[in-house]
Amino acid sequence: MTGEPRRPDEGERATPRARRLLSRARFLGLLAGGAAVGALSTRVFGLVDGWRENTVEESRPVFDPGTYRLTVDGLVARPLSLDYEALRALPAVRQVSDFHCVEGWMVPDVRWDGVLFQSLAELVGPLPDARYVTFHSLGGVYRDSLSLTQARLPGVLIAYDLDGAPLSRVRGAPARLVMPRMFGYKGPKWLTRVEFRDRQDLGYWQQRGWRVDAWIRSSD
Amino acid sequence: MDPLERLSSPAPEFLDRLAASTRALHWLVALPVLLLLLTGLTNFWPELKALHVGGARVFAWLHVLIGLGFAVALVPSVIAILMRRAARRDARELLAFGLDDYLWLQHRVLRAAGLRSVGPRVGKFNAGQKLNAVLSAAATAALMGTGVVLGVNYWSKDVFDVDLVGAVFRWHTVLSVLLLPLIAGHLYMALLNPGTRESLRGVTTGRVRRSWAERHHGAWADRVREERRAGEG
Repeated sequence: MTGEPRRPDEGERATPRARRLLSRARFLGLLAGGAAVGALSTRVFGLVDGWRENTVEESRPVFDPGTYRLTVDGLVARPLSLDYEALRALPAVRQVSDFHCVEGWMVPDVRWDGVLFQSLAELVGPLPDARYVTFHSLGGVYRDSLSLTQARLPGVLIAYDLDGAPLSRVRGAPARLVMPRMFGYKGPKWLTRVEFRDRQDLGYWQQRGWRVDAWIRSSD
Repeated sequence: MDPLERLSSPAPEFLDRLAASTRALHWLVALPVLLLLLTGLTNFWPELKALHVGGARVFAWLHVLIGLGFAVALVPSVIAILMRRAARRDARELLAFGLDDYLWLQHRVLRAAGLRSVGPRVGKFNAGQKLNAVLSAAATAALMGTGVVLGVNYWSKDVFDVDLVGAVFRWHTVLSVLLLPLIAGHLYMALLNPGTRESLRGVTTGRVRRSWAERHHGAWADRVREERRAGEG
């Protein structure tokens, strides 16, 4: 603003009542317009819905299809080492669930494709002492565990596709554990080893005081 | 301030613009909101977000602590501040939106489009300042409401249903994304933009240069002069 000459008659033509109504309507219109633009732009930029990233690895592990192995070992009768092709060749299931992070955000109706944990367990044959399972990340820092009973619940799977496309590096390529009835930190990304054990190994966050059984409390 | 103005007014004269109570209200909101914004933005920066001491992630913990502290302290502080007449008067002026404000906005839009336009005389606050105040206050209140739910959920997952928390989290994000450009614009005008930078002096020391006030808030400068004359008379 600079010092323009003023025109005092500006805006003084309407009657006071009309002025009030006019200004109120325009003010509300402006507010509504601003809110609409804001809501639209947040949707456009995808800042609101969808995934947020959590990782404690030094850097996001890189998946190399040539060298990657999913090792299934520990207290089992027939240990397994699967390459990416072999993992994808196992009988696949599709599962749709809401993803809940312990932080509070959620992604509704996530479509996972992968191998049921139960099918994998049948392949390797857990020994009678095997009562817990630890899931290790490629980066070597993160891991988490479930009891064998929890891991055998319906819907627990080693997922390699997310919403119809292979997992991206950020989302945990090439595979991650999906435990839809617990918070997301129970499902390590960049999964490379499934270890059957007799005692529960505390996961990364559990060692730091977080809840071991991170059941989601929900009305449905 | 442009060099010509400096030459023509070697000893600037000041007008009292914002009383201590109004300034207190501004900073009482501004500082926590700024800290909450910075700690909240780490949500989009995984490396910072992951920083933790034991099981506590530093920025999430700070965010929740500052947010809950802010929520508890704000209402009594605002009530105490609004007991002061000067703050009440400023609040009233900020919330009064009339035809002149609409005309001022229209004038700014026309000028921004490169068209000739003459705006109305501006009172203590222009329509941009008023809109900023109303929208920021509304967004802050809504962020506080949703934030309290998330803050409680941070300590105990047994209070709220996860689907409710998910919906509230989404609104908290939408609101912060809406507030972000408002704050960015506000900071730009307070710290960088030469024409509006003088207002920073107003919200820190309470006084502004008369020459600036006459150009940017002419009707208000006139009113101050008249009130001063009436006080002397």
